[in-house]
Amino acid sequence: MSTRERDERLEILQGTLDLLILRTLIFGPQHGHGIALAIQRTSAEELLVEHGALYPALQRLEERRWISAKWGTSSNNRRARFYALTAAGRRQLAKETSKWKRLAAAIGRVLGPEEA
Amino acid sequence: MSRRSDDDFASEIEAHIALEAERLRGEGMSADDALAAARRAFGNATLARERFHESRRTLWWDDFRRDSLYGLRALRKSPGFASVAIATLALGIGANSAVFSVIQAVLLRPLPFREPDRIVGVTRNQSLPDLDDIAARSGSFESIGAVHFRALDYTGGDAPVQLKAGLCALRYFEVFGVRAERGRLIGPEDDLARAGRVVVVSHAFWADRMGSDPGVLGRTIPLSGEPYTIVGVLPASVRLPGAPADVWASELVVEPRDAPARDVHILHAFMRLKRGVSIERAQSELHAIDRWLEQAYPDENSGRRRDLEPLREMLVADSRRALLVLFGAVGLVLLIACANFAGLQLARGSSRRREMAIRGALGAGRWRLVRQMLTESVLLSLLGGAAGLGLAHLGARALVSLRAGSDARLVPIRIDAVVFAFTAVIAAGTGLVFGLVPALAASRLDPQAGLRGGSGGQSASGREVRLRRALVVSEIALALMLLAGAGLLIRSFRNLRSVEPGFRADHVLTMRLELPEARYEELSKQRLFRSRLLDSLNALPGVDAALVSELPMDGDALTQHFVIDGRPPVPVGEAPEVLSRTVTRKYLRLLQIPLRAGRDFEDRDREDSPLVAIVNQSFVRANFPSGSAVGARVSWAPDPGKPPEWMTIVGVAGDVNHFGPARPEEPAVYDLYEQTPRRWKRWMFVVVRSPSEPATLLREVTARIWELDRQLPPTNIRAMSEVVEGSTESQKFNLLLLGAFAVLALALASIGVYGLIAYSVARRRREIGVRMALGATSLAIVESIVFGAVRLAAAGAAIGVAGALLVTRLMTKLLFGVGPRDPATLAGVVGILALVAVIASWIPARSAARVPPMSALRAE
Repeated sequence: MSTRERDERLEILQGTLDLLILRTLIFGPQHGHGIALAIQRTSAEELLVEHGALYPALQRLEERRWISAKWGTSSNNRRARFYALTAAGRRQLAKETSKWKRLAAAIGRVLGPEEA
Repeated sequence: MSRRSDDDFASEIEAHIALEAERLRGEGMSADDALAAARRAFGNATLARERFHESRRTLWWDDFRRDSLYGLRALRKSPGFASVAIATLALGIGANSAVFSVIQAVLLRPLPFREPDRIVGVTRNQSLPDLDDIAARSGSFESIGAVHFRALDYTGGDAPVQLKAGLCALRYFEVFGVRAERGRLIGPEDDLARAGRVVVVSHAFWADRMGSDPGVLGRTIPLSGEPYTIVGVLPASVRLPGAPADVWASELVVEPRDAPARDVHILHAFMRLKRGVSIERAQSELHAIDRWLEQAYPDENSGRRRDLEPLREMLVADSRRALLVLFGAVGLVLLIACANFAGLQLARGSSRRREMAIRGALGAGRWRLVRQMLTESVLLSLLGGAAGLGLAHLGARALVSLRAGSDARLVPIRIDAVVFAFTAVIAAGTGLVFGLVPALAASRLDPQAGLRGGSGGQSASGREVRLRRALVVSEIALALMLLAGAGLLIRSFRNLRSVEPGFRADHVLTMRLELPEARYEELSKQRLFRSRLLDSLNALPGVDAALVSELPMDGDALTQHFVIDGRPPVPVGEAPEVLSRTVTRKYLRLLQIPLRAGRDFEDRDREDSPLVAIVNQSFVRANFPSGSAVGARVSWAPDPGKPPEWMTIVGVAGDVNHFGPARPEEPAVYDLYEQTPRRWKRWMFVVVRSPSEPATLLREVTARIWELDRQLPPTNIRAMSEVVEGSTESQKFNLLLLGAFAVLALALASIGVYGLIAYSVARRRREIGVRMALGATSLAIVESIVFGAVRLAAAGAAIGVAGALLVTRLMTKLLFGVGPRDPATLAGVVGILALVAVIASWIPARSAARVPPMSALRAE
């Protein structure tokens, strides 16, 4: 994955992007551009989604049948490919979420209380 | 999933860029700037398309490649682990590939003939007139041929040498579908004597003795006193059953007396079945012909049945069982190597917990981690397999040189594509199967525990401990089975070697001579040569010399029909058979074969004195069960219409192990070269005893022979002790191989058990420290560790003994003088493994108990 630093925002680790995509789609079908914007917005602009990396990730999730896709029309009348969460995707999201929370807690404990 | 097109993906990207540009315009950018920024934000669209492409086709391959590269990096970081694992597997896999390459050559590869499945052989030797009748009366065979191997003297070189000659009858080469390299081969047209004596030479003979002369066809060579014209050269690639021979000629031409005789059964017969004819059909037709022959020629054919056997069966009959036992043995070696491999990976897996935990935390699923470990395992096993293939190549070469004289091998032993594939499959299979359990064990953990824990020191999970114990138990059990097999063979071999052969073999030199018919047709010439030879040899200081027609344990035997004076006459052809041995007067004394009754041959037994014979004890048991044989008269069954030539039995000699120690002696009659009227017995073994080493006498003895006949080549020159050793050659071969595998198994199992116990002790460092801090003595620590190991070994031994009792039954036919369930052998083997367990646990236990408790507790 190419890593070009463009601003102060955090790049997303591989593996976590999948989780974020699944999470975003829980609010309903969305196209790739919408997903990228939604991640950025809901993370209070802290997370940066590299648009080029998004599509292979979507492709991967689709192949694992965690999301499905079909062409539709966007709110401003453009044709776009819309992705929706499948039942398997929902299960995967639940699993990954609890795992992530445990990990975050563990890392938090390892790093100890914030110093500043 | 239906395939998504490239265009579809491209238009999705375009849509994305358009949406982004629109958004940026909404923020007040100009249209052009917005589009450029959108493209910039997307990054490299082409790259994304490429990634899309790759992921579609090769998601798994991508993962595999990544795993492999990661695995290789990881292995490079722990070269000790990698090299031990690879070496262990190389030994296990290499031994298997080597034995499999022999099995492939002997049992599996098609024989190197055109449509080899159609070639069959007759199990017993045949006479040419019978075969002629069969050829005329049968409809199942495309061609029938026969061969008889004998020695011919070649006097065209510097010193006379004996060549191995294949004498062909009927359509021998046609049966095998063999063609000449130059000229032609021997066929039925050469059987007519007026065609002149012709010979086909082997490629090796043509190259070595004729200097690869391109004009070799038409050249004449002297063979046993007769000139033969070379008409062809046999290709080097052709291997025929019983060969390699140096020269090939017509049976009828070389053996004009024996070949046309219906009662001389010296030919190995082979047939090529007609296309579509089954061996069963051919067999029932042949049995019908047997019955016809029996009626037409009752003298020679009563009770004679001819059984057909596929050529392959004929060639491998004896070696199949031994090969399969060896294959089983290397299978066990491989299993032990695999257990070691699994143990190594288990240890490595638990030291990699942290790494696994981090990867798991970052989103890698459990299957993904298992796959990573499996990939590494398969990488190792494939590397081990590659190294094993190298070992197998060396091993196969060693096997070939160990058994250079074996006839059964028409197909050369080498690492061919099938052996290669076999190796690849067991290597990959080993990596998958024996990597799976450790991989599952290592990946089964929750990230928190993994991240929290150190790299060692914490106590292992119960599941892992059980797994390690299971490995120790199975290594002991497997090694025990293999050692038991090898132990039984060792005992058999010792029994074989300690059998009293019935004669003294030390300080005796032997060699074979055969008087060529061309110069020694008359009996008087043969007798003159023999008496002059013996006089000349006995004149050497300290030397005793005698002659015998069939040397004990040499492999050759001659049986003849015989009759006993005063017994009711038996129908012609049904007279019992007995081993016939023709000797000179000193023979029994020289080999120190004891006399059990009567007298030995003496000087008064001459050509013109009454005929005498000595029989062996088996003969007395079989024919005079209640009484003395001395004084009775026997005769070789006379030709029809002729009176018997009675020989008076003057003595009874002790039995000798004529067929080697594993087979009991059969009834035999000794008669005298001085008295025998049989002109065809022109061969003899010269037997010379002297106080000095046999080899030192060789030059003198051959000089004396050549004084009498410059053109006579002595062959089979050996000390008698070598002859005796040679009689246990195949047992020695089996013993050496199985013994080597057993040693390998023992070494692997010892290392494996040591490794597993040492590792578990290391994992218990902290616990041991606590116990010692609480007052346990180091002796108590050592005791508890050793005791634990011995308990595991006992469980392994119990399983191993049960397995050995099942498995060694298959070896019964390879054993001698010891049963397959020999308790002494099993006890010895159990003792060896108990010792291994004690040593393997005592060493790590002692060093663990020596560490001061505080430093053990602090070690983290």
